[in-house]
Amino acid sequence: MSDTRPSKISVDAALNVLDKRREDQVVVSTMTVMKPWREEFESDRDLFCVGFMGGASTFGLGVQLARPDVPVWIFDGDGSLAMQLGSLLTIANAAPRKFLHIVFHNGIYATSGAQPVLAEGRMSFAEMAKGAGYAEAVRFDDIESFELALDDLLEVEGPVFVELLTEPTGESFKSPNNPPVVHPEGERALPSALASRWPIVNESLQE
Amino acid sequence: MIYAESIPAEPFLKAIQSVGFTDVVAVPDTHQRSLIDILSKHETPRFIQAATEDEAIAIAAGLIVGGRIPLVQIQHAGLYASVNHLRGIAEDGRFPMVLLIGLLSRDAELLPHEHGGSMVRLAQPLLDTFDIPHYLMEKEDDLNFIELAYQSALEREGPVALLVGVATS
Repeated sequence: MSDTRPSKISVDAALNVLDKRREDQVVVSTMTVMKPWREEFESDRDLFCVGFMGGASTFGLGVQLARPDVPVWIFDGDGSLAMQLGSLLTIANAAPRKFLHIVFHNGIYATSGAQPVLAEGRMSFAEMAKGAGYAEAVRFDDIESFELALDDLLEVEGPVFVELLTEPTGESFKSPNNPPVVHPEGERALPSALASRWPIVNESLQE
Repeated sequence: MIYAESIPAEPFLKAIQSVGFTDVVAVPDTHQRSLIDILSKHETPRFIQAATEDEAIAIAAGLIVGGRIPLVQIQHAGLYASVNHLRGIAEDGRFPMVLLIGLLSRDAELLPHEHGGSMVRLAQPLLDTFDIPHYLMEKEDDLNFIELAYQSALEREGPVALLVGVATS
């Protein structure tokens, strides 16, 4: 496989394309992409994952298995997915039908000093997902092709995997959803973003 | 004798069903293989297999978001492998989640903390470190701990562990 760097897709452009298609989907986002998505497009069907790298996709799988009627979109990071590659098999095995798993592949660990993702330039997450048994897995390095293909991809019976080769944002990550909290000794910490968010999504799914 | 040679899988399944668990999210465990076998053959609860224990915890949390009642079934080695998800999702996310953890190779004549091997010996201290309540199941009568664990998980809004101290049969 050839080296596809430099990539051409900006995260903001990709998120705008996705937002235009969003209806009632539950969106599970994590890492670098989470902050801009939250700032622009947060809804009562958004779940944000901080502090357990690699868990976004299987967390979303659980939602989809609970509610097969509700589409679930995952906005994953490349470093995150690398930490839980086995999740590709778990998801393929469960075969969720309305499940769109997007990895924003910027090639670096953006929050810790831009260290390269392992085997960068030689590996393809889309090929891994295809090999794991996803129903469809495709890779894009320009926004036009992605936008053109997205409507058809949303009609495919999943799980569907999309690898977007994105520009590194270079922004350091400030963990906006888990600000440090001080709590009295002996008491549990104040609720994390996940603890405060998931009941909102749970309630939304009951409407 | 305060323990049995094994806990039969059939009443184990009935106890799980009677609590109302809708799904079992499992990673294969030799200690609980007869229970896994029977679970995988029944429609309720639904049996979902994960590649790793971290994933099992994340899937269970997602199921709770969607209104289901999952039971996580893993082995002690998987508990050690999954601690960041256990902390970051189940505990910090405040998900009322019950974990069924097999203590493979446990000598039932010894308490877990009396074992020389770290695999059995450190499970309870690890759970204590995370402030996660736990129950030790050693005989069929202990199946009522399943309901207690679930109620405890609901009350504390977090995970509670059931340690399967003898193999299922």
